[in-house]
Amino acid sequence: MTGEMSADLEFEDLVKLYYGDLYRFGLSLTGSEADAADLTQETFYIWANKGHQLQKAASVKGWLFTTLHREFLKTCRRRNRFLNESIDESTADLPNMPPDCAERVDSRTLLRILREIAEDFRAPLVLYYMEHLSYKEIADVLALPLGTVQSRISRAKIQLLRRLSESKLPLEQAK
Amino acid sequence: MNTREAKEILLLYRGRIDDSNPQFHGALEYAKSDPELGEWLQEQTKCYDTIRAKLRGIEPPLGLSEKILRSQPIPFPRDWSRIGQLAAAILISVSVTALLMKWSEHGNRPVAGPQEILVTGEVLDLTCYIASNLSGPDHAECAKVCIRRGLPAGIKTKSGKVYLLTGKPGDSINAELADYAAKIVTIRGKETARDGFAQLQVEEIRKL
Repeated sequence: MTGEMSADLEFEDLVKLYYGDLYRFGLSLTGSEADAADLTQETFYIWANKGHQLQKAASVKGWLFTTLHREFLKTCRRRNRFLNESIDESTADLPNMPPDCAERVDSRTLLRILREIAEDFRAPLVLYYMEHLSYKEIADVLALPLGTVQSRISRAKIQLLRRLSESKLPLEQAK
Repeated sequence: MNTREAKEILLLYRGRIDDSNPQFHGALEYAKSDPELGEWLQEQTKCYDTIRAKLRGIEPPLGLSEKILRSQPIPFPRDWSRIGQLAAAILISVSVTALLMKWSEHGNRPVAGPQEILVTGEVLDLTCYIASNLSGPDHAECAKVCIRRGLPAGIKTKSGKVYLLTGKPGDSINAELADYAAKIVTIRGKETARDGFAQLQVEEIRKL
């Protein structure tokens, strides 16, 4: 895993190292800057109280992402907006998309499109794109079988690419 | 493997990070022999990099890290070596205390042979003295009877120290001591002590 560290890494170093990654993960899950900041803060709060239980210092990054995701799921349950949707995309429907379709959207549009993907599929897809975690590590973070993770990433990615190719572009809108 | 199967596999391929993953090796080899698939793979990888860069380009709000640091709870010490040191210190402390207590108990036992001393004081009936704090001329008759009957006898010095009076091992000295009950005498004898009790093995009694 990237970001290995010594066992006695201090809290401040840990925050500086990972708060950005955690915030981005939180933002892509919630779509809300305030919720993402809260999730990030809550994750480090939990680390300060329970992080000492972690035996392997090398798995700190995975632990933080797992914790943030778990807190996100708790929030979803509290708000009764946890949707176990499925994605109908099949890998048999691989899209023929314009090569520059990702370049034409800005970060906000990208986040909006990500938010349209079912939550079960969004988390693995975001980790796939944002963090250089292996598939096994993504599976560990989300507590899912490896095969399920890969299947969800594939289907979510097809949906994302399809929506990107269909989305209205800021430049075109300006014209 | 055909082109479609290779595409399905390579849909997850992210570039260099996945090069060591054996699940992609076959499909990557296949792409080398299929120019159209190779081009698709190149576009796909470029698209991955673009999306990744855009997502990672999102900056967290200003002051978030400071806010997290400010709200840090008092951290539980997660330094296991320090916890180990603390546990060891407690263990050593308890052990030393226990040893000192044990040593203290042992300290009252004779470390050398009994020494001959002279002790001056009142002959006591220890049973009445300890149980009811009875001594002195008013208790003389009772003390005399008790000592003669074989109850333990003692001598109390002016400073308040009390010795249990005994004869030589196997011999009773009570008959002789009974005559001195509640009287002030000087006894020459061998002093011993055990578990906080002082004992004087009587050699000679002198009435003052």
